[in-house]
Formats: sequence, C-alpha cells, structure tokens
Amino acid sequence: MDDRLRETLSAMMDDEADELAVRRLLSHGGQDEVREQWQRWQQVRGLMHSSHSPADGVDVSVAVREVLDGRARQTGDHMVTDPKPAARWQWPAVAMVTMALLIGFGAGAGWESVDGTVGAPVAATQPVDQTTAQPVNEIALQGLDEQQWEHMSRYLLEHAQHNSVGAGRGSVGYARLVSASGSGY
Amino acid sequence: MIVFILLVVRPVAAEDAEATRWLERMGPALNMTTYRGVFVYARGDRVHSMRIAHRFHNGMVEERLVLQDGGDGEIVRKGMNVVCVLPERGRIRLDQVIPSGPFAEAFANELVPVSRWYQAELVGEDRIAGYDVVIIALTAKDSHRYSHRLWLEQNSGLLVKSHVGEPGGKVLEHFQFTSLEITDHIPDGEFEIQTEGREITRNLEDVASGEPVERSSMDGWNLGWHPEGFVPAAAPRSGRGQAVAFSDGVAAFSVFVEPQGKVRMPIGASRIGATTVYMRELKAGSGSFLVTVVGEIPPKTARQVAESVQIGDALAQHSGGS
Repeated sequence: MDDRLRETLSAMMDDEADELAVRRLLSHGGQDEVREQWQRWQQVRGLMHSSHSPADGVDVSVAVREVLDGRARQTGDHMVTDPKPAARWQWPAVAMVTMALLIGFGAGAGWESVDGTVGAPVAATQPVDQTTAQPVNEIALQGLDEQQWEHMSRYLLEHAQHNSVGAGRGSVGYARLVSASGSGY
Repeated sequence: MIVFILLVVRPVAAEDAEATRWLERMGPALNMTTYRGVFVYARGDRVHSMRIAHRFHNGMVEERLVLQDGGDGEIVRKGMNVVCVLPERGRIRLDQVIPSGPFAEAFANELVPVSRWYQAELVGEDRIAGYDVVIIALTAKDSHRYSHRLWLEQNSGLLVKSHVGEPGGKVLEHFQFTSLEITDHIPDGEFEIQTEGREITRNLEDVASGEPVERSSMDGWNLGWHPEGFVPAAAPRSGRGQAVAFSDGVAAFSVFVEPQGKVRMPIGASRIGATTVYMRELKAGSGSFLVTVVGEIPPKTARQVAESVQIGDALAQHSGGS
C-alpha cells in the first residue's frame, strides 16, 4: 500500500477523506492488504486500550461502498456545480472506527522497533530506597464518582496549563489540555 | 581535575551534539514556523484530534485550534490574547479550560541541560505526514522520568510526532500530525473565530510577566525531595495560589497543596497514559491537606514527591483556624 492510500486512511479518521480518494482506496488491487492494514491498526489500538478489537475479520469496504453510493446518488448534481463542499463529506460512523488507526500505526512503527540501544543505557543505577520499592497503590479512574472525577480533572487541567507551556511543546500542550477537559468519561 | 572532567565528558557530548542541536531548534521552530494541519493525541483511552493553523506574524504568534471530535470548540490566540470557544458539554466548566499561562516561549528560553538527565540520540530518519523527519530519542538516565521520542521535520525542526513512554517499553502517550502543510503564508481569515458559542477571552500578559517564579506559590509548604534536574518553572497562578510546576526541560509535574475539601479523594496513583495523578492526605496542626502531584512522570516518582511535602507552621495554623 503506498503512502497516498495510507494518507487516505488517515484522512478518513479526520472526517475529510475526499470521495475520489476513498474510491481509489476501495479499488486498490490489494484489498487484502488494505484490510490487513486496517485490522492491524485496529488490533494495535485494541491492545492499547486493552479491549477486544471490533475489526477482527470485519470487512468494512462493503459498508463504505454503500455509504459512498448512497451519498453519490443524493448529492450527485451538487457535486458537479460545487466541488468544494462535496469534497468534505462527513463520514461519522467510519471515522469513529478509524479514529485511532494512525495512533495504532505509531505504536507499531515507533518505540520498540528502532534498535537495541534504547533500553540499554536506561538502567536505574540509583540506590532504591524503601519507599520506592513498595508498589504504588493504583486508583482506577473508572472507580471515581462524579465529584471525585471532577476534582481530579481540575488538577489535570491546571497541570496541562502549566505544561502547555511547560515542555515547550506547543501543540502537545494544547492536546493535553483538551484531553484533560474532554468528555471521554 | 577540571581538565580531566572535560576529557571524560567530551566524547559523550560529541555523540549527543547533533541530537542536541535538533533539540535547540525545536523550541523556536514551534513558534516561528508557519504551518497548518491536523494532529492526533492519545493517552490512556482518550484520543483527540485537533486542526491547527499557526503563523509568526508581525513579531507575534498567531494560532487557531479547532477540536475535531466531541463537539465544536476552538482556541484562537494572537500574541498574548487567547479566545476560547469550547463545547458546554462535559463536566468541566469553560473557564477552567482556558490556557491561563505563558506559552512555549517562557520555557524555550530556559536553558535546562537536557542531556544531563536524558541521553539524546539521533536514531534515524522517517517520513511523517508527507515530510522528512529526523528521530531523536531522549532516553531517561534514571528511573524518575519517562523516555521520549521526538520526530522533527528536517527543514524547520518542527515537532510533528512524539512518544512518551517507559524506556525501551510501552508507549504511554502519542502525539502526531496526520496531515501537515508547512508554508510561508497563511491568510488572516484562518485565524478568525468561526464557532458560535460563548467566547472567553483572556490576556496572558499579566500572568507571563508576573512575579519571580519562586514566589509564585509555594506559600507555607515545601518539597523535601524532587527528582534531580527539575526546577520550578514559570507557572500560571492557580485559582487558590497553592500550585507549583517543575520542569526538567522535557517533562513537567505540578504540585498542589490544598486544605481538604468536602470531596474525599482516594489515596494513591491514577494513570492516564503518561500522566500520573498521585494524591495523599497530610495532617498538619489541626488541619488536613490534600497533596496532589500531577505530571508526565512515573507513579513512583509522583508518590515520592507527594510524600516529601511538608506543611509549614503558618499554613497549618491558618488552616486550623479557618
């Protein structure tokens, strides 16, 4: 699968894959390859989120084609006269599934695979005192009640603000901020 | 003796030199580069994507960020002026979400010797969002911090992807541009608020050019321990004036010390991706305090920091009396 097709998959995630590109992806000779890539990313995502991957063995291309065709029938005339809005069609259902594909891709391609030097120099040579030797009591966020979560997320937010700033990372800081404020729970 | 140290240090420094040069470019690149794109951010089970347009115009950073999921919302910043329109849904009040502190510049200027706490290495090249990038690995030299991996665009030095994780292990936080265009010019129109909703405006100037950092907040309490290399960082004032932020130039954590409120919090560490929240209760005098450490640091580090907090007599008495 070439970069352009890969980019289409990623654009699908952003709700802005243009229709032609998606059609190209669907008519790509190696449908197995596309499907495998999709499932691989989905599995990585599943691992990240320690949940079962809903994409196991699912071929989304049929559903996608149906959406495309339905859409094309409805908006066919419109597309000719005004190509710009048509190019940014919404695709919420698939976007939800595709949401974390790239993340998954990152997980597969990055951290562990580069070379053997990563782990070596990290050895914690510092004397470990007794307090650090004890396991840290972990609190599951899911176990917090609403008030507790609200309380905690205030700290997350404030820290994200320090941090947006903090590590001098620009966008990462914003992302942490939004993530902390999010409606994910 | 000094000569000896220099001799010992030099070979390592030479190896790191190229990676360090890239790191030095990263800070300015974040502000001075003109670009637009969409990035994705994931930690724990949360994934967010945002569209960003950014330019350096008339000596001023301008940027607009638009949420791509979970409702309409955007943040527009012109220099030190920030306007937010964020979705009302969710449990967080709007005004809590506004960035109320100085942005990247405040830190980029600080010369934190990153290479003392991280081994910086140029580990390869790749292609992200259509751009050629170099990959810099920042491997933590001790167990008090996480390791980082940064993907920087080759011409500008712009950060286009990053991972935070355990050394040689699991990635806990992902950031990545999925589409990106680095350009010379972005028209004014792309920096205008377009979402309808309640707008909140804030000026960062007062906060940014405020008092010296040391005086900002550690009133009445102090830290007995923090990991080497973390220094008090320019932090915006928290609502109650009891927070302080520390940074080692790469990672940061914040410490909050507040009188116990009505909400009883569980004691221990919660993790959201690379972010740890550690809470503990601390009795001082007749009062009881909630100590919270939040940061992109391992749970054990967060606990050690939290357990080192000491409340001064004045704060203890004040709290007891109130």
